[in-house]
Amino acid sequence: MTKKANRRVAACAATLLFSTLATAATGAEDSLVAKGEYLVHAGGCVTCHTADEEGATPLAGGRALQSPFGTFYTPNITPDSETGIGNWSDEDFVRALWDGVNPDGDDYFPAFPYPSYTGVSRDDALAIKAYLFSVEPVASQTPEHDLPFYMSSRVAAGAWKLSYFDAGRFVPEPQQSDEWNRGAYLVRHLAHCGECHTSRGRLGALQADAELAGNPELGEEESAPNITPHKEHGIGRWSVSDIEYFLDIGMLPDGDFTGGAMGAVIEDNTSRLTREDRLAIATYIKSLSPR
Amino acid sequence: MQTKLTGRLVILVAACGLASPIFADTTAEDAKDYRISIMTVLRGHIGATSMTVRGLVDDHGQLAAHADGLANGIAELQYVFQEGSVVDDSEALPVIWEQPEKFAAAIKKAEDATVAFKEAVGSGDSEAIGAAFRNVGMSCRGCHDDFRVAHD
Repeated sequence: MTKKANRRVAACAATLLFSTLATAATGAEDSLVAKGEYLVHAGGCVTCHTADEEGATPLAGGRALQSPFGTFYTPNITPDSETGIGNWSDEDFVRALWDGVNPDGDDYFPAFPYPSYTGVSRDDALAIKAYLFSVEPVASQTPEHDLPFYMSSRVAAGAWKLSYFDAGRFVPEPQQSDEWNRGAYLVRHLAHCGECHTSRGRLGALQADAELAGNPELGEEESAPNITPHKEHGIGRWSVSDIEYFLDIGMLPDGDFTGGAMGAVIEDNTSRLTREDRLAIATYIKSLSPR
Repeated sequence: MQTKLTGRLVILVAACGLASPIFADTTAEDAKDYRISIMTVLRGHIGATSMTVRGLVDDHGQLAAHADGLANGIAELQYVFQEGSVVDDSEALPVIWEQPEKFAAAIKKAEDATVAFKEAVGSGDSEAIGAAFRNVGMSCRGCHDDFRVAHD
């Protein structure tokens, strides 16, 4: 083979290698984005970060979250660099989820459920970010929170965090099944079920001894029911299949249907999960102490 | 001649009276109670159907009957929301009458879903039956979400 021919073969081989690597990289990126999209639904991001009005742009924020401490407006989490999270680094995003801190170092109010998200794995957090950065940026400035004077400073959020927040990733319990651990991860952390279904103390901290035992003050004149397996006060008469089917289509075992806040959760989140993940959630919930 | 004409008129009026629909003087309470009865019937069909669809009980032919019941009950919904019937324990939201087109579209969606479910049951394809019933459920949930007082 001549030198010229050798060079041609080498050039072809390099092109082929580059093309293969580029395709593999794109494939990996697509797969990360797809995983992130699934986790965005599992994590309830769409429900909270989309305004509660017809035709609202998903993830562009603006939903009013009413609480006993005032009204919080969810931020725009599309990758718009001015009004969204377009300038955030991977570390900024992970720190927000794990530590409840924004890129400027300010503490979030726990209306953002970082006390639950702190258990989310780094891989899952980065997959979520990859998906969020794949959607169309939307320029949308959301309203300032409407809070009483003593909550108007982020110092209040910092003080709350010092008193009530423990950062830490989810650690699987080795004596439990993979299904149970997956359910625990989803319920306690990513899907943050306790943020609605657990009552809060006077300063808004979740009551650990009443985990998932219902919350009479959900806001917007709604309450969240007890979802522990208590036969009278909770869902102890529901089977694993009943819970899984409820999370899929919102049907109660008696043929009635849920609506309100849980209707939105079914629509945007749990109906988008795999049946395996819904069964894992049901398995975990059935294993809790009845309260 | 005049006697014959009068006689024919009497027969005609009597026949019209017999053939005309009877318009009940429905009170708000009656309208609400009737609506709740229809919803209770639907709930029974849905609860029973879901157990068959999920494979928790065998289908001894009841699935087709429940599919008919669902389709018939849903088709009746357009008549059971009498204006002014939000009384006592009614959970219907005012938006039903404030946005009639939106409500009619939601009812139509549920009707279409139940008709498709009947067809799926007729096909005997269990995967198609499950998927079609899921659509029925999602249409019911959508209606309850938008047009009924939120439950716990």
